[in-house]
Amino acid sequence: MTGPILSLRGVSKSFPQGGMLDRLLGRDGRLVALDAVSLDVMRGDVVGIVGESGSGKSTLAGLAVGLVRPTTGDVLLDGQPMAELMRDHAGPWRRRVQMVFQDSSSALNPRKSVARCLGETLALRGVPKAQCESEIAELLTLVGLGPEIGPRLPHELSGGQRQRIGLARALAMKPEVLIADEPVSALDVSLQAQVINLLSRLTRELGLTLLFISHDLALVRTLCSRIVVMRKGLIVEQGPCLDVLDRPQHPYTQALIAAVPKGLAGRRTPLPVRAADAAAIPETREDIHGAA
Amino acid sequence: MSPDLLSVEGLRVGFRSADGGIVEAVRGVDFSVAPGEAVGIVGESGSGKSLSMLAVMRLLVAPARVTGGRVLFDGEDLLAADERRMRALRGRDIAMVFQDPQSSLNPALTIGRQITDVVRAHRGVSSAEARRIAAEALERVGIRDAGRRLASYPHEFSGGMRQRALIAMAIACRPRLLIADEPTTALDVTVQAQIVDLIAELRRELGLAVVFISHNLQLVAEIVDRVVVMYGGKVVEDGPVEAIELAPRHPYTSLLKACVPSLSGPVGPLTAIEGAPPRLGRLPIGCPFSPRCPDAIEPCLSEMPPLVTEAGHRSACWRPR
Repeated sequence: MTGPILSLRGVSKSFPQGGMLDRLLGRDGRLVALDAVSLDVMRGDVVGIVGESGSGKSTLAGLAVGLVRPTTGDVLLDGQPMAELMRDHAGPWRRRVQMVFQDSSSALNPRKSVARCLGETLALRGVPKAQCESEIAELLTLVGLGPEIGPRLPHELSGGQRQRIGLARALAMKPEVLIADEPVSALDVSLQAQVINLLSRLTRELGLTLLFISHDLALVRTLCSRIVVMRKGLIVEQGPCLDVLDRPQHPYTQALIAAVPKGLAGRRTPLPVRAADAAAIPETREDIHGAA
Repeated sequence: MSPDLLSVEGLRVGFRSADGGIVEAVRGVDFSVAPGEAVGIVGESGSGKSLSMLAVMRLLVAPARVTGGRVLFDGEDLLAADERRMRALRGRDIAMVFQDPQSSLNPALTIGRQITDVVRAHRGVSSAEARRIAAEALERVGIRDAGRRLASYPHEFSGGMRQRALIAMAIACRPRLLIADEPTTALDVTVQAQIVDLIAELRRELGLAVVFISHNLQLVAEIVDRVVVMYGGKVVEDGPVEAIELAPRHPYTSLLKACVPSLSGPVGPLTAIEGAPPRLGRLPIGCPFSPRCPDAIEPCLSEMPPLVTEAGHRSACWRPR
């Protein structure tokens, strides 16, 4: 039995709040973004982390990828503490945990072509220059793009294509864990499904462990095997995705589910009766049965 | 039948491009809103939905400008009205609420000042009376302790409260038409549900007509009577909400519904719409959706299908479903 690939042990993260004057006067407080959170992610799990703004879900993503250091507590990768793996430099951690960001246009350097962006990542992994070209082509195919994309600059790509490049760049490191922070929330509705299906296929084919941070419960339901519901820096509920969404225990989970737009089924007000329909609807019993 | 409150006829909006040509983003849009009716305008970015409504409000900023069509509000052509007339109508008869409540409010002025300014500009009332009206409006949108809250600054409000304050500002002069442009996109889902309920409630109680612009069909279907679906600067479908939800005719509408997952039913790969939304200036000659449409046949690519009306339900497709 192997242990979890990624675990958080009583992890808290707080940020200083207030300006310099507040600090000088000793009035500064700290904003607690994550409050003694413990979480185990098993190898191959696809975990959805849901919650609203301020729930701490993005802080959790930052901690997992090593961009944010915990105030207290430990983050472990395959049983090894972050502090140990990052003692000299962040390389060993980053090689194994990669991230896809929400805003693909600011996550890519606007002055570097797709090929150069991917080439630099491959060089970090130690791929010899001679092999780069074929690996870039492979990566592009993997995310459903053709080799003609290589020379293009980010602004010459559509939002969906840019997000695929963000994914290809993360995969270039051959990571074990992929963190995706709201990867489709900036995309048009008609493009979201493409990227979600791609993420789902790659996670399966490459045996990745995925942390999918999202506010969209329906997307999490489609993609994830487990779900973690966060609120105000705490995990309020977690478990198998369908169990939690079908039988939510915590009132906050219930509120989140109730707030999902449900189209006609979600109408809280009756449909108005249009004039034309009104004429066709019998008004009284007499209209129906004829005057007695 | 009652005459329309708002009638948009053949509206076109274009941008002057660098080479001196005109790139059209809204290409002949027709739709109408009856008094008290709630209409949803659904489309993705670049579909022309927001530009159309900015054109109605005469709030387009250069290089965008109206290149054709008419906008009738209560029979008056707004595109022919002078700026003074528009200033009188905006905020009094037609009000608009935008996506980002943060940038719609002046951070340096109190909420009360910003609402009373609108009230005093349109109704010749004393400042005490304006404050009373403002407090009443804030209370109406569900802000507790409204009288005291007038003295608050925008940064003291949460995102949801700011949007409520903007809606209060919009309804303070009892407009006949409220245009809401993605009013909940910047908000959390639980707050989104509250704001949508609030708009539905105000509409019912004040008899407001509402145009609700959104990229989310499931969201607008909860509160509107009719849905107008736009794609590539054109109306591709327009019908009663039940028809759009239960029996959409245009393949884009039905695919749009299919590609958004729900919280019930079997879990599996999502239905994807291949390709990407068209880029302005590179729109197909025929149906704008034809390059991505699984049902497309020859005339789809070369000829724009006309909007055909059948039982109050319009769709522009050579092969309606």
